[in-house]
Amino acid sequence: MKLLTKDDFINIHKKNGEALAPEKIKEIACDFLQKNDLPTTKDENWKKTDIKRILKHRFEYGKKIDLDKFVVSMYNVSGTYANVLVFVNGHFCEDLTKITDEQHIFVFKNIAKAKTENHEIFDKYFNKSDIHNEHYFSALNTAYAEDGAFIYIKQNSVIENPIHVYNFVDGDNRKITSMLRNLIVAQKGSKAHVIFSYHSLSEDYFLTNVATEIFVEQNAYLDFNTFQGEGDDAFQINNTRVHQKKDSRFYSQTITMCGNIVRNDLNINIDGENCYTELNGLYFPDREQHFDNTINMNHKVGHSLSNQFYRGVLENNATAVFYGNVNIFKDAVKTEVHQKNNNILLSKHAKIHSKPHLIIHNDDVIASHGSTVGQLDKEALFYMQSRGIGQKKARTLLLTAFANEVIDKIQVPQFHFYTKFLLEKRMKGDKTDGMCSNMGACRG
Amino acid sequence: MLKIRNLHATIENKEILRGINLDINHGEVHAIMGPNGSGKSTLSAVLAGREIYKVTKGEVLFDGKNLFDLSPEERAREGLFLAFQYPVEIPGVSIVNFLKTALEEKRKHLGLEPMSPSEFLKMMREKKELVEFDSKLENRAVNAGFSGGEKKKNEILQMAFLDPKLAILDETDSGLDIDALRIVANGVNKLKNENNSFVVITHYQRLLDYIVPDFVHVVFNGRIVKSGDKNLALELEEKGYDWIKKEVDELNN
Repeated sequence: MKLLTKDDFINIHKKNGEALAPEKIKEIACDFLQKNDLPTTKDENWKKTDIKRILKHRFEYGKKIDLDKFVVSMYNVSGTYANVLVFVNGHFCEDLTKITDEQHIFVFKNIAKAKTENHEIFDKYFNKSDIHNEHYFSALNTAYAEDGAFIYIKQNSVIENPIHVYNFVDGDNRKITSMLRNLIVAQKGSKAHVIFSYHSLSEDYFLTNVATEIFVEQNAYLDFNTFQGEGDDAFQINNTRVHQKKDSRFYSQTITMCGNIVRNDLNINIDGENCYTELNGLYFPDREQHFDNTINMNHKVGHSLSNQFYRGVLENNATAVFYGNVNIFKDAVKTEVHQKNNNILLSKHAKIHSKPHLIIHNDDVIASHGSTVGQLDKEALFYMQSRGIGQKKARTLLLTAFANEVIDKIQVPQFHFYTKFLLEKRMKGDKTDGMCSNMGACRG
Repeated sequence: MLKIRNLHATIENKEILRGINLDINHGEVHAIMGPNGSGKSTLSAVLAGREIYKVTKGEVLFDGKNLFDLSPEERAREGLFLAFQYPVEIPGVSIVNFLKTALEEKRKHLGLEPMSPSEFLKMMREKKELVEFDSKLENRAVNAGFSGGEKKKNEILQMAFLDPKLAILDETDSGLDIDALRIVANGVNKLKNENNSFVVITHYQRLLDYIVPDFVHVVFNGRIVKSGDKNLALELEEKGYDWIKKEVDELNN
């Protein structure tokens, strides 16, 4: 079988709509595309994630599809009061936009529009994190992405309701690839909760390529949530790059419930002192699914604290990767980092590659890391059985308790509820892959 | 209530129980004593259904049913309870949630409607009082970070909740200070009635000062070698086990 080549990807995207990137940035990204290849398992950061399975499919450019309001309402991830933007196959659905907080304290619109209407902010921040140089897909996104979400929280503003971006994919019996390019700026002293959720509306093969740049300015507070609930045949490459200025706080919760190969790169840069960073994640791969969380935590400046806490439950033939890089620079003294990764393997075929990787260039730091892999606690199971609790129920209680420690880090109450609800369904044996709505529309 | 006939059991091909015979009737308290490694705890584990032990011979009837036809959870729902020597920690599962689930499963098994939340809370209050259980603990995860005494009190609370026909207390007195011992024993005494029975496995006589047994059995080398009334426990306390070992040896020769 002929695999897609790097040029195939360029050809898919270049002949379509207008790219977001200003000419200069596009040139830089295209230059990267020319000089670099698609990631392979020979690349250090892709050793355990083989994208050949993705390249087997002749993807085509995802068209714009009209979506009914009712469909969106089935995916009640963020509650009725959320501010909402909706994208389908990377295209903006303007008529589904909902703004519930006061309009003058923040800007929440599609980035293609912001490029002209808010060009000063756009020009100041777009690709300033150099997100294009992460890998081939992030460069492709930088060069050719046409739209995505633009979130700008004005100085000293607090956004009460969650800011939620839906991205649906809908194939209509075709193999679809789409891109989403997002920019989030939390200005000085602001506070907001953001959710990005990914769902598929049909049982086709998808490749979603997401690149998100986040700038957390001085003393700002940003809570960033990612929910991945695409179908069994949906691939996702999701790249997030964050810059934190001094006194800022950044929280990230990544919940990966379903998908085929899901790769998340989360790249955090501490540019100022006294920052706090918390990265939480939960992954639940089943069957042949493969979920990869690769983290790059860069402490460039000292006197900051970061915490990583990722947990996974792996069933059947599922595989997962946790690659936790921490890089503490020479001058970043009094840095404190903690990293924890716990995994439960429910079958002897499931595999986890957990690799803590701490590079520390000065000796005035506090650092800890721990990685565990195990099965369900047999003693605890028997203890529960001896109290009359059936084996299946006992298993559910133990796994739920294990996952809840991560889920309880979710700050948005409705999203917290939604995730717990899906988890409970999953535990009961209902498949929650595919259409992760809370109306029971999950395909089995 | 419980009939044990010629029970043999092995672990990793090593025979631990070599023909236990025991009858327990309603309303009785039996104490099982014996030196380390004699098979006391194995007996309780086999009755509760721990998988690592293999029953090689004999049978156990629990209220007329063949115990070995039942899974561990079915045995519990039928009214068998084992208070663990080392209660297991279950992080993330609160005591309230744990008890509620266990009770629901039992009621379902018995064909009863689930309890209403208010009924459950009322029951919780009563049982906590009965076993002097600290309310502060109920929302904590089961046994997680509990002291030895708290763990044992939690066992007795669970026992009170599940209201078993037959409760086996496996060295519940080990690791308890005198106050905790009294609380645990009082809990048992309050739960005791003419319809249920208790098996108390212990090394020491001191627990039997509080929970007075109707029968005392001595297990040695996987068999019950001597049975008597509560005075047998006092005799053992005074003389140790050596004289029993000697008696057994003489019998064998």
